[in-house]
Amino acid sequence: MLKSTLIMLAAMAAAPVLAAITGRVKAWLAGRRGPDWTLNYATLAKLLRKTPVYSRSTTYVFRLGPLVGLATILAALAFLPIAGRPPIFSFAGDVVFVFYLLGLGRFFVVAAALDTASPFEGMGAAREALFGTLAEATVFMVLFLLQQTHGGMSLATYLAATTAGPGMNGAALVLAVIALFMILLTENSRVPVDDPTTHLELTMIHEVMILDHSGPDLAMIEMGGWLKLLFYATFIADIACPFRGGPGDYLLYILALLVIYGGIGLVESITARFRMSLVPKFILTSFALAFFALIFTMEMPG
Amino acid sequence: METFFLAISFIIAAGVLPFLFLRSSRLMRGSAVIMTAAGGLTGLLFAARAMTTATPPAATFLLPGGLRVLMQVDAVSAFFLLPIFLVAPVAALYSFHYTRAQGPRAAAGYLFFSLLTAAMAAVVCAADITGFIIAWELMSISSFFLVIHDFGKKESRRAGYIYLLFAQAGAMVIFATFALAYGKSGSLDFASFATMPAQARILVFVLAFIGFGSKAGIIPLHTWLPHAHPAAESHVSALMSGVMIKMGIYGMVRFYAILRPPGPGCAMLLILTGAVTGVLGVVLALGQHDLKRLLAYHSVENIGIIVLGLGIGMLGAATGHPLMALLGFAGGLLHVLNHALFKSLLFMGAGSVQRGAATLNIEQLGGLMKRMPLSGTCFLAGSLAICGLPPFNGFVSEFLVYSGGFQGVANSEAQMFTALAAVISLAVIGGLAVACFTKVVGVVFLGEPRSEKAKIAPPAGRCMQAAMVLLAVACLGIGLGAPWFIALARRAAGPLLATPTPMPAPLDTAAYAIALAAAGFLLLLAILAAGRGLLAHGRPAESATWGCGFSSPTPRMQYTGSSFAAEIVGFYRPFVIIRRDFSGIHGLFPPLSSFRSHTIDLVELGIRRWLARSVMALTGKIRWLQHGHIQLYIAYIFFAMLGLLLWLMV
Repeated sequence: MLKSTLIMLAAMAAAPVLAAITGRVKAWLAGRRGPDWTLNYATLAKLLRKTPVYSRSTTYVFRLGPLVGLATILAALAFLPIAGRPPIFSFAGDVVFVFYLLGLGRFFVVAAALDTASPFEGMGAAREALFGTLAEATVFMVLFLLQQTHGGMSLATYLAATTAGPGMNGAALVLAVIALFMILLTENSRVPVDDPTTHLELTMIHEVMILDHSGPDLAMIEMGGWLKLLFYATFIADIACPFRGGPGDYLLYILALLVIYGGIGLVESITARFRMSLVPKFILTSFALAFFALIFTMEMPG
Repeated sequence: METFFLAISFIIAAGVLPFLFLRSSRLMRGSAVIMTAAGGLTGLLFAARAMTTATPPAATFLLPGGLRVLMQVDAVSAFFLLPIFLVAPVAALYSFHYTRAQGPRAAAGYLFFSLLTAAMAAVVCAADITGFIIAWELMSISSFFLVIHDFGKKESRRAGYIYLLFAQAGAMVIFATFALAYGKSGSLDFASFATMPAQARILVFVLAFIGFGSKAGIIPLHTWLPHAHPAAESHVSALMSGVMIKMGIYGMVRFYAILRPPGPGCAMLLILTGAVTGVLGVVLALGQHDLKRLLAYHSVENIGIIVLGLGIGMLGAATGHPLMALLGFAGGLLHVLNHALFKSLLFMGAGSVQRGAATLNIEQLGGLMKRMPLSGTCFLAGSLAICGLPPFNGFVSEFLVYSGGFQGVANSEAQMFTALAAVISLAVIGGLAVACFTKVVGVVFLGEPRSEKAKIAPPAGRCMQAAMVLLAVACLGIGLGAPWFIALARRAAGPLLATPTPMPAPLDTAAYAIALAAAGFLLLLAILAAGRGLLAHGRPAESATWGCGFSSPTPRMQYTGSSFAAEIVGFYRPFVIIRRDFSGIHGLFPPLSSFRSHTIDLVELGIRRWLARSVMALTGKIRWLQHGHIQLYIAYIFFAMLGLLLWLMV
C-alpha cells in the first residue's frame, strides 16, 4: 500500500509535465518552440498565490465545484492500478464507484457553471452534460467487456499486472483502445470534441464553464484536468501494455504515456474541431467500437 | 399483529380528529400530524419486528356478509411497510405549514391522506383476493380525491379524470388476473396460486405485471403520473410518488414470490420494459418546464430502475445464478426505499418553491438558493441522491443492480445481451439523470431570479424545512450506513429466492467498502476545503459575472432550462418530439412575435390519437342506448329479468 501510494504521488506530481508533452508535440508540428516544461507548475504556483474573485450571482455551489471536481479525480486515481501495480484501494464493484464518483464531479462542475448566471457558461454546461451521458455508455461497455475477459468487478482485477497472459484477443484490444482514446479526447475536452487552447468566443465546452473561476479555484480545476487526463491515459496504458510485474513495467508505462500524450498532440495538430452536432456521432462511434470488441471477445475467446 | 392494528387506528384517527377541531386550524393540523407520527412510529416498530421474526405475523377476520379476509406480513410485506410508515409522518409534518392557508377544508385533505396511508399498509399485508381488492380500491379512490383537492380548477379535474381512468383500467387487469388465478386454483388465498400449472402461472404473472405496471407507471402506462402529481398538493405528491406507485411494484414482487414463473422469458420482459421505462422516463423529464411534471417523469425513470433490478433478479433465479438473483432483488427492493425518501424530499422541495415563488415553471425561477438556502441545500442533496451519486443512498441500490447485471456475463449469449442492455441502460439513465438534475438545480436554485416573484420568494415554513432536513439526513445516512441497509434488503429479498443465498465474501466486504469509500471521499473533500482555506490570500473579491465585455446583462439572458435540455432531448428525437410554435418575424417593422416550445410524450399522443379515438368511435355507435328516458331504462330492467327467468326455465 505504501508503494502504491508512492507510485500514485509520483504520477500525480508528473501529471502537469506530462500534459506539457502534448503542447510540445503540437508546437513541434507547427514549427514553433513550444512552452517551457515547467510552465504548468509555474501556472499552478501563480494561481495559488492569487486572491479569488467571486461573482455576486454565485452561491456556495460555485465554490464547491472545483473542490468536488478535484476530490473526485483524486479519489478515482486511488482505485486505478498504475503501471500494473495494485492500486491503493480496491474492492469488488469499485468500477461502479469510481465512474459514479467522476459523475459527481461532473454534476458539480456543471452546477457551478450554471451558478454564474452567464448564458455563455450555460451553453458549455449543456454540452458537457450531453457528451457526458454519451461517454458514460461507452465506458460501461468497456467495463462490461473487461468483466467478460477478466472477471470480477474492480479496476485492480481488470488492469493490474498478471502473468496469465493477455485476457483480450488482439482485435478486441485494438478496438477497445481506440474507443477509450476517443473517450479520453471527449472527457478531457480535446480536439476534435473541444479545443482547449481557445478562449472566450471560440471556446465550446470545458474552457467556457470555468470562465469565472479564478485564483486557487482555477488552480484546482487545472490540476483536476491534468489528473483526469492522467487517469484515462493510465487506463489505456494498463489495458494495452502487457505488464508482467517486473521492473521493466515502469519503463513500458512511461513509454505508453509518451505515446498517448504525444498522440493527443498529433491528433490536435492534424484535425480540426468538429461541428458540435457531429460530436455525438463521434462518441457513438466509440460505443460501436467497444461493442464490436465485445462481439470479438465472445466469438473468438482467448 | 396487534401493533399493526394499533398503528392503523392511529392513522385513521389522524384523518378523523381534524373534523373535531374545524374551528382552530392550528389544532386541526397539529392533531393530524401528531396522530400520523404516532401511527408511523408504531408501524415502524411493527415492521422492524416482522422483518426479524421467523414466523410471519398473520390475522384472519370475517367481514359482514361472511367474507373472510386473511392478512400476513412476511419479510417482503414488512419491507414495503417501511416507506409507508416513514414517508407518511414526514409528509404530514411538512403539511403543517404547507396547508396553513387552507382553513377548514384541510380536514378533508387529512381524511383522504390518512385513508390512503392506511389502505397502502393494508394492501401490503393482504394475503387473499378479498382483502387485497378492498384495500387496493380504497387506495385508488382516496388518492383520486387527493388529486382533485383543487376541484375548482379545470386542470385538476382533468388530471383526476385521467388518473381515475388509469387506476381503474389497471384495476380491471388486476381483477382479470385474480379471476384467472381463482379459476385455475379454486382458492382466494394467494398462497394457493402456486399450485397452478406452469403455463397458467406465466400468463397470470404477465397479466399482473401489466395491471400493477399501470399503478407503478411503467412506459407505456405512465401517462397519468405527469398529470396527477402537479395537480396534487406537494405532501400528497410526495406520498403518492414516493410510496403509492411502489404498491404497483409490491404487486409484481408479491406475484413473483407466489408464482415463480419458470423460464427466463418473464425476466427478459421485465428487463426490457425497465430499460425502456428508465431511459425514456428521464429523457421526457429533461424536456419538461413544470417542476412537478419533471419530477413525475423521474418517478417513471426510477420505476424503470427498480423493474430492471427485479428483472435481473428474476433472470438470475431462472438461470440458476443465486448470486445474481440476490443482487438484483436486493438492489430493486432497496431502490424502492431509497426512491421513497429522495423523491418525497424532491417533491417537498418543489412545494417550497411553489409556496415561495408562486410558480412551478422553471423558466421563471432562479437564484432561489439565496432566498431559501436550507430548502435549496436539501433539494441539492435529493438531486444527488436521485442521480445515484455517492455518498448518497441512490448509489447503494444502483450499485447492487449493477453488480447483479455484471454477474450476467457468465450466462448464455441471449441472457448476456439482456444483462448488457440492463447495464448500459443503467449507465445512460445515470448520465441523463445528472444532466436533468443539474438543469433543475442550476435553473431553479442557482443563477439569478428570472421573475419578480422569484426575487422576493420567502423561505419555507419551519415544519416544511424540518421535514426536508429529516429526509436529506436519511438519504445521506443510508449512503454512509450501506452495509446495514443492504443487509435489510437482503432479508427482504429472502422470500423471493428459491434457496437462502449467503452473500459471497468479496461482495460482503463491498457493502462495507462503499460506505467507507463514501466516508473517505467526504473526508478528502473536507481536507481539500481546509487546504483551500489555509492557502487563501486576503478576502475574496466580489464582482459581476464576466460577460465577455458586455456590461449590462439581464437575468433573462441566462441559459434557460429548455435550451439546456434542447440538445439532449433532440438527440433522442425519434422517441420524443419537441414542438416549436414560432409566430415568425414579418414586415419591415415587425410586431411582437412569440416563441414556445414543449416536449410531446409520444405514448400519450398515441393513446389519445389511436386508442381513445377508436374506443370513442366504437362506444359512440351504441350510445343511443343511453338516452335519459327513465321509463325505457325500467323497460330494460324488465326485459332483462324476463330474459333471465326464461333462461332459467329452459
